[in-house]
Amino acid sequence: MKTEKENTVKEILSTAHSLRWEIGENVHDSLIESIYNDASRIANTVVRKDEKKSQFNLDRTIDKIVTSRWLGFPLMFFLLAIVFWLTVEGANVPSGLLASLLIDTLHPILKNFAETLHTPWWLSGVLLDGAYLAMAWVVSVMLPPMAIFFPLFTLLEDFGYLPRVAFNMDNLFRKAGAHGKQALTMSMGFGCNAAGVIAARIIDSPRERLIAIITNNFSLCNGRWPTQILVATIFIGSAAPAYLAGVISAAAVVGIAVLGIALSLIVSWWLSKTILKGEASAFSLELPPYRPPRILQTLYTSLIDRTIFVLWRAIIFAVPAGIIIWLVGNIYIGNLSLAEHFVQWSNPFGIFLGLNGVILLAYIIAIPANEIVIPTILMLTVMVIGATDVGAGAGVMFELDSPSEVAKVLHAGGWTLLTGINLMLFSLLHNPCSTTIFTIYKETRSWKWTAVATFLPIVMGFAVCFVTAQLWKLFI
Amino acid sequence: MIEIIFITVITLVIFFFPKIGLFFRWKVLQEKTERILIEDALKHLYDCEDKKVDCTLKSLAGALSLSDEKILHLIAQLETMQLVFTKENTFHLTSEGRSYALRIIRIHRLWERYLADSTGVQEIEWHTQAEKREHQLSIEEAERLAKEMGNPIVDPHGDPIPTVSGEIPKKKGMVLTEVKEKETVQIIHIEDEPKTVYAQLIAQGLHPEMQITIIENSPERIRFEANGEECILAPIFANNISVIPIPEEKIQRTFKTLAAISLGEKAKILGIAKSCRGSQRRRLMDFGITPGTIIEAEFQSAGGDPIAYNVRGALVALRKKQAEQIYIEDELKTEERMSDIVSKKRH
Amino acid sequence: MSDITITMNTTTTQCETCPSHNKANLIKLGIDMSEFDFVVALAGNPNTGKSTVFNNLTGLRQHTGNWPGKTVTRAEGGFSYNEKKYKIVDLPGTYSLLSTSTDEEVARNFILFGQPDVTVVVVDSTRLERNLNLVLQILEITERVVICLNLIDEARRNHIIIDERTLSRELGVPVIPASARVGTGVPELLHFIDAVATGKYVCRPHRLSKYTKQLTRAIEKLSKKIAIQFPTLPNTRWVAMRLLEGDQRIMDAMQNGELENLLR
Repeated sequence: MKTEKENTVKEILSTAHSLRWEIGENVHDSLIESIYNDASRIANTVVRKDEKKSQFNLDRTIDKIVTSRWLGFPLMFFLLAIVFWLTVEGANVPSGLLASLLIDTLHPILKNFAETLHTPWWLSGVLLDGAYLAMAWVVSVMLPPMAIFFPLFTLLEDFGYLPRVAFNMDNLFRKAGAHGKQALTMSMGFGCNAAGVIAARIIDSPRERLIAIITNNFSLCNGRWPTQILVATIFIGSAAPAYLAGVISAAAVVGIAVLGIALSLIVSWWLSKTILKGEASAFSLELPPYRPPRILQTLYTSLIDRTIFVLWRAIIFAVPAGIIIWLVGNIYIGNLSLAEHFVQWSNPFGIFLGLNGVILLAYIIAIPANEIVIPTILMLTVMVIGATDVGAGAGVMFELDSPSEVAKVLHAGGWTLLTGINLMLFSLLHNPCSTTIFTIYKETRSWKWTAVATFLPIVMGFAVCFVTAQLWKLFI
Repeated sequence: MIEIIFITVITLVIFFFPKIGLFFRWKVLQEKTERILIEDALKHLYDCEDKKVDCTLKSLAGALSLSDEKILHLIAQLETMQLVFTKENTFHLTSEGRSYALRIIRIHRLWERYLADSTGVQEIEWHTQAEKREHQLSIEEAERLAKEMGNPIVDPHGDPIPTVSGEIPKKKGMVLTEVKEKETVQIIHIEDEPKTVYAQLIAQGLHPEMQITIIENSPERIRFEANGEECILAPIFANNISVIPIPEEKIQRTFKTLAAISLGEKAKILGIAKSCRGSQRRRLMDFGITPGTIIEAEFQSAGGDPIAYNVRGALVALRKKQAEQIYIEDELKTEERMSDIVSKKRH
Repeated sequence: MSDITITMNTTTTQCETCPSHNKANLIKLGIDMSEFDFVVALAGNPNTGKSTVFNNLTGLRQHTGNWPGKTVTRAEGGFSYNEKKYKIVDLPGTYSLLSTSTDEEVARNFILFGQPDVTVVVVDSTRLERNLNLVLQILEITERVVICLNLIDEARRNHIIIDERTLSRELGVPVIPASARVGTGVPELLHFIDAVATGKYVCRPHRLSKYTKQLTRAIEKLSKKIAIQFPTLPNTRWVAMRLLEGDQRIMDAMQNGELENLLR
């Protein structure tokens, strides 16, 4: 009985197979065709369109404007500029408040409390100066800009404008072997690379999606802007005449961001021609109708889905890093701490690249978040030069109130204009933060592509810094 | 002294460590090349059988680019394996030999299908890559691949893929040189060997399922219209194309693509070119780009390309390259044909 | 053999309020049904406001963006209506169930093998024709469908009028005009989900009939054979069609008996 059934099933399958050879390979095509024939017949009987009042008048008017040859791009840059300006300006005050609450107020209170409990110095060091401080830093620097940037971006998305950006930018990205929607993942990357990598889900073609994920790190993220601005002010602004200082340093930062965009296009092109050549590629883009955005719901959901989600991942990585930062500053071998050993050992290599050992170590131990790079650099510099009048002790990250004070510390650490320029370049071109690396793995499910996305920018960073340093020595 | 012993031991380990030692690797490599030769010889024999020509020492030596001596050695080996038998100086496959050959062909064609549908590998590289893969892929891997792809029945050149049990339908059609002038036929297969000829043919934009009309068929050249353009081929090239006649009502007289219409214009879709494959083709069809659909070019992007088209009430952006793969009905030509008929009636 | 199946069939139809989902398969698909009476699947094209409908039904604030593929993790929620507890599963937004992307496979397998008690298809009223592609495909594999004609206010604003009664008659399933953004149509949607789940409303789904000549002949030949072996299969023509496309999942289901277990 059972075998009889098996036999009939087998027979059915073999009949199917020989029929397939008879009817050829167009089965799928004719199936979809017959489905659409029915769909169109049904739609014609039930849908009544008022032809006189033509449909989507308003939509087409908006489309004519946002995709016009002359207005399309300026409008896009204008809107993006507004989003960034609102983010940067709006984040200042809440960031400051959070910092003064979490770092200046709560941290000393916790330290005192630990002292009254007679906690061993190393325990309170690891937990409060290491783990807590790293977390506090990440929250206060990361939360406000993301809480402004993501909702604004989501509003544009809900309205239906973002697909038009992809539509407009596709010509450029097509030439780089990428998808127009990469313009959006890139813009998202300016807020946060991890979020940009997640946003690459909108690209449904495997090759273009991988390109967007791997190159997202070239978008200068939120966590790197403060580093850029600070270093540009201290080194580049001060090298220019005083009345031009502000403009020049701002131009330098924008220049780095534009360099990032250019590199992401070049690398996209290179990837599509070499290692990603064999991946399947398809283009599809639907332009949905414009819809009035639901402001309150958007605020709520983008806060939950994106901001809190990304922040949570960042905190998870920041806590262990904070512990490590404290430990390398406080574990001694001989007369020197681990950090000092490493800095001494790596300094020649760093100088060779036009950087220094402190920067190299800072980028290794501050891998969880670019936000804590500057505090870590300051802590390490003070430790290496042995200054006692600034800072908060070994392994404790800190920040100074004004750029001129930072400048004093860095100059004492032997920094030159070249170090400043190369730090700006290196801040653009280094491995993604650990949150982003983890997200890349989650999204691609492949160690290979995660490794490519991690090591490609850092190799480029070393190369660019090296070339800059050599040119510098040649000409200056 | 101790150093010498140490070095000897290390060297021995490097060479003879089980499985990963250099010696074993070399042996595996050796076996592999042997396997490749056997499989290529079987494929050539099958090819001869299929084309109904004799397989001789010379043809085999040519196909495998080996010396006659080596071929004789290979044949002897194949005979002891009972895959091949010799009859009056020509070689023939035994039934085991045939099913072995069909297994290799199955893997080869499956891999070509996979490259065509699921990767971005260029058409010209399909055959070369499949030539390598057919010797590497195990049967299980090949079957898994077939299942994932929805058990394809033909390869991208239009050749049928043999079943697991080695069934393969009889060859249909005729070669292009046999077609009379003014006849319209459909390409069902383009032979992918030799590679230089194949490259030339695909460079002309020829694909299986394409309709062509013969303008001139002489011993010197074959002139024909394909996709509204005139192509000229030497007979030696045309011999690599198999075609079948198509019924009168199915002949598409004119070819114009969506890329030719300007903004604000409407067109009726005839179909999507065969060169648009895999997920890209399916996505276009999902959007409702099917034969008979009316499509309208609405507006272009700020960069000029892509263009937004209205398809069944939805706005879909298509790149120029995609629009070039979508055939539309040429209304002008239809009118011309109408006037033709009218004038004929008058006469 | 056929006698047995017929009696089995009558016993199942007697129990009209029995849930129809396939519990074993649902568990395999990762759905915990321990506290729910019925399971509802939510399908639809991208950009149709599917997640808004989901939020309206569950009260959960699940946000999915403007493009396909955004919801990679499947969203699940629950609600009660008429003293029955419903589990609702938000499937990835897709244009079709026939292509080879993962999203489409997830949605297809859930509807076919999970046998949800009701499948709600959210449709964009302003782009009905395009959306009907997915609707017709879903109607081929399940009978218990409710169509949510979403964004109906937007359609009216653009002077598109849809005769939902005729549409319902054509498709053979309930069609509910709605505007999930403002919440209109949601009570009616709930009412019909309940009616279809409990068997009070019996769907007579539209099935594809017109294929090309060559295809029709092949389908007829094959579906007759299938009908003899699987006499209770509701849509043998569709199974034949899948076999002709070389769908491995269906071939497997046929061989390991899964296909038979789907019979009600």
